[in-house]
Amino acid sequence: MTPSHLTRTGIAVLAAAVLATVPGCGLGGGPGQGEDATRTGRVAGTVTFRTLQLKPVHTGYVQGVIDAFEKKYPDVKVVWEDVPGDGYNEKLVADAQAGALPDVVNLSTDSFQLLGDRGMLADVARLDPEAARDYVPGAWEQFKLPGKGQGVYAYPWYVTPEILTYNKELFAEAGLDPARPPTSVEEFFDQAERIAARSGGRYAAFMADPKGRLPGDWQKMGIPLLNDARDRFVFDTERAVGWLTRMKDLYAKGAMPKESLLKADDVNQLYGSRKLVFGPGSPGFVKDVKRNAPQVYAGTQVAPAVTGSLGHIGIYAQSLGIKRTTEHLDAALEFAKWVTNGPNQVAFARRATIYPSNARGLDDPYFSDRGDGTDAETVARAVGAEQLRTAQLDANTPVEWTNQVGDAVVREVQKAITGEQDPRTAVRRAQQEANRLLAAANAGGR
Amino acid sequence: MTGAGEVSGAGEVSGARRATGARRAPAPPAPAPPAAGRAPRHRPWWTPYLFLAPGLVTVTLFSLWPFVNTVVLSLTDARILRGGHFVGLANYTRALADDDFWAATANSVLYLVVVVPALVLLPLALAVLVQAKVPGIGLFRSAFYTPVIASAVVVGLIWQWVLRSDGLVNTVLQRLRVISEPVPFLTDSRLLLCSAMLVTVWKGLGYYMVFYLAALANVPASLYEAAALDGAGAARRFFSVTVPQVKPMMLLVGTLSAVSALRVFTEIYILGGESGGPGGGARTLPFLIRQVGLGFAGETGYAAAISVLLFLLTLVFSLLGRRLSKGDDA
Repeated sequence: MTPSHLTRTGIAVLAAAVLATVPGCGLGGGPGQGEDATRTGRVAGTVTFRTLQLKPVHTGYVQGVIDAFEKKYPDVKVVWEDVPGDGYNEKLVADAQAGALPDVVNLSTDSFQLLGDRGMLADVARLDPEAARDYVPGAWEQFKLPGKGQGVYAYPWYVTPEILTYNKELFAEAGLDPARPPTSVEEFFDQAERIAARSGGRYAAFMADPKGRLPGDWQKMGIPLLNDARDRFVFDTERAVGWLTRMKDLYAKGAMPKESLLKADDVNQLYGSRKLVFGPGSPGFVKDVKRNAPQVYAGTQVAPAVTGSLGHIGIYAQSLGIKRTTEHLDAALEFAKWVTNGPNQVAFARRATIYPSNARGLDDPYFSDRGDGTDAETVARAVGAEQLRTAQLDANTPVEWTNQVGDAVVREVQKAITGEQDPRTAVRRAQQEANRLLAAANAGGR
Repeated sequence: MTGAGEVSGAGEVSGARRATGARRAPAPPAPAPPAAGRAPRHRPWWTPYLFLAPGLVTVTLFSLWPFVNTVVLSLTDARILRGGHFVGLANYTRALADDDFWAATANSVLYLVVVVPALVLLPLALAVLVQAKVPGIGLFRSAFYTPVIASAVVVGLIWQWVLRSDGLVNTVLQRLRVISEPVPFLTDSRLLLCSAMLVTVWKGLGYYMVFYLAALANVPASLYEAAALDGAGAARRFFSVTVPQVKPMMLLVGTLSAVSALRVFTEIYILGGESGGPGGGARTLPFLIRQVGLGFAGETGYAAAISVLLFLLTLVFSLLGRRLSKGDDA
């Protein structure tokens, strides 16, 4: 055998080896395999814990919580890993595919839904039935999954409810009463139209950002998203067409910054420079305004979120999921409960603009103190906590409304708002595309 | 020396050692010269491959394997967090029947058609201008190169503030009473694509200018002198001397900028948001791949198929550049 022959043979073998191993990368069976972990009653072992972008600002707090836990349970070793927000979900997906999820993992709403739907998370309601009473009912219910009965697949951690923030000076300048902010989507649009008419183009009312507004606006307006079997979208209704017609009209009248249609605009910059009346509905935003634009902060007012006739608000919830196949189930459950208990959540909320999902934590006087009613940040904290206790929290984006569905709907909505197509056609086409994506997802077990 | 021509390196080294040894006394018994027709002793045939191994392994793991994997994935219905099944060419037939795919392809090709000529010609003109040896010209060279080292995100944000409805351009045009309503540079799909092209060209000017400066430095001054003696003016010297001399570089710049144009993503993302302009009307193929493949409902198999089609499109334009280059050599 000559050297060149050997070379060719070697290259052929290498190529064959690459081809033979390729199917192992990205293909193969789904990740939701393996035996369910069972409780042994012994809290011991090494537990891996992943958080979402808490370092370096909250390193001290989280490490303190871990240290206290390890002191209480000396047989447990917690290995903490913090991952930046950018690429967090991608890393979760990669780890889930490789069967390498941490034992206790910080999940946002969309990652919770995906991992839960794929059967990768333990049912904490079954494993720890007593836990339910520790949390705010609305928050606990958040972590049930459609079609999975009474199972709860994560411990609620910190939550951020939707509130309404607005510049009361511009509000008054537009001839509106700052003490009477809108309470429904329709009223919100009416006031936006008035602001656009009075502003002379100097400021707009709110960000168009259809991706941020949908499906929340439709849910608040009582527009059904899915049929009862949850296998078809049914939002193509007169009310949805009406919503889009109104958005188109308001956009043309200057009620929204033109570029906000594309989410390429910076809301902090616009609100901070008095070019926007309604800020984003997040308590954290009020804190940002206080730090970056003190003069605008002085004119900022906070009110309960626009909820619509059904009293729904949006809520941004973080949770701690337990890997279904974890080797140290008791330690993982105890640790997740420890991190999410009342005192630890209150301590966390005092450091960051978040709210406890723990019932005892939310009862802390810190969350009901409105001060003298003039400081927007203090009022925002009290308003947010009040909403968490009383509002309906079931207006979350359904699991079927995936990122792809949202993008498809938003593209049609954008075309209608810019006048490329009429609203009726846009809603019809949006529903068709959403149903095509849903059918494709269901065909393969979403 | 018999056989030295066959394994020159090894033969020369061993020959040199023998010569050195021969000067020292007492001389060791000289090895017998190789018999005629017998191969000399040399390094094993796989020695070069040993040296190549680190590079080969890296390329195999991080380029070849992902590429082959993409081709394999494109033949399946794989989705994020779900294994795929072989579906043959279904993803390709779906792409060819998908309006979004054709719209993105049209945008990518349009981008290429506009950006490539601009990036072949404008940097050449710029290079000719800054080639002159006049005091302070270094400042201009540096200024033209600055956009290259600036972050794409920063550049995008600056242009966003220049082009938005209440941005610099619209404000100036409105104050001058040239327009009554703001021009929707960023909220109209076609204008958004044009704006992104403008940013790409602006950012690429300095980069390719450096290529041309290197090429211009190699043009013999005697050619310009001869042309001047023959009475050629500046324009004639440019077209009859400069352009033919830098033509190979023009072809290289054309090929490189064509590949970059087909991969454009950042400019559109920053200027037009994550939907790729209103209604996704300014999406290019890389943009579509990202939208289809990412996220928890990502269709990995379909995204892989579009990636392979983009690769083929890039290959066509690369081969076209190569063919032009060969024709030029002939």
